[in-house]
Amino acid sequence: MADWDKLTEKLTRGVARTSSRRSMLAWLGGAVTGAALIPVLPVSRAYASSGDPHAGSPGRGPVTSGNLQDPGDRTQCDYWRYCAIDGFLCTCCGGTVSSCPPGTEMSPITWIGTCTNPADGRAYIISYNDCCGTSSCGHCLCNRNEGDRPPLRPQSNNDYNWCLGTESSVYNCSTAVLIGVAVEPS
Amino acid sequence: MKLAETLIVCAAGLLAVSAAAAGKADSHIPGVAKPERAHSDYILKCQGCHRPDGSGDTVSNPPLNGMVAKFLSVPGGREFLGRVPGVASVNLSDERLADVLNWTLYKFDEANLPADFKPYSPSEIGHLRQVPLRTERAALRQSIVDQMQE
Repeated sequence: MADWDKLTEKLTRGVARTSSRRSMLAWLGGAVTGAALIPVLPVSRAYASSGDPHAGSPGRGPVTSGNLQDPGDRTQCDYWRYCAIDGFLCTCCGGTVSSCPPGTEMSPITWIGTCTNPADGRAYIISYNDCCGTSSCGHCLCNRNEGDRPPLRPQSNNDYNWCLGTESSVYNCSTAVLIGVAVEPS
Repeated sequence: MKLAETLIVCAAGLLAVSAAAAGKADSHIPGVAKPERAHSDYILKCQGCHRPDGSGDTVSNPPLNGMVAKFLSVPGGREFLGRVPGVASVNLSDERLADVLNWTLYKFDEANLPADFKPYSPSEIGHLRQVPLRTERAALRQSIVDQMQE
């Protein structure tokens, strides 16, 4: 026990001889400043690699049609069919641009708009069927509102929850189903 | 070889007949100046709630299929169709709205059209949509449906 006391005393005196309160404060300040700088270090982040502020989930690869007439990445908000969408993209949620994720039900009542396909410059009619039944997907939020009208025209407003006519009215994500070619602008 | 030629001629004839029938269906709808545009407008402005086949539902989007033309046989029914909110407030011109309303009547319920039915004109629609129905819509519709069943 006496040896333990001596050892502790020796260590304490050693620390007291070789350090000061000022140096302790300087060391502590350096540590705090250094810790604050850690987040700005050039650490690789998968979701930052796409360089797109609308990019959704980390590590997601592009999803394309493989058809030159239907260009674009369907996980990105700037995909042409999403021009009037307001919600989470089902392509990022386990579904596709025209089908719902497993465990959800597609609403038969839907908000319909038109978008111009950059491949041919024509306006196509898009049905934004919501997928319903489980809580919000939370990935790839996309809010573009071409053709959106105020709620006094409910059939042309995309702010509503369109989970109508389904067993559950809980919203999960939105699809963008191609259903026709627009004849004339409305 | 002769059999093959005969079959080809028959197939071509069938195609021609079916194409003519389809063309007739699309191009001869009374009161509809541009049927293709009317169909497109139906998709854009009506189909989202009333469904592609006009079947609707029994909760909030009444069926059109086999139902909508019955309104024309009841007093006040013709006016109701022009004043109902989804019709009166839609962002279409009077001409296009008259087209799509007439198109809907013929497409989804031609069998129930009255014999003396006169298609809606743009000016008639223009007058009716000036007085759109609001909260009284449900009660008025119910009274019209009740009269249908009498």
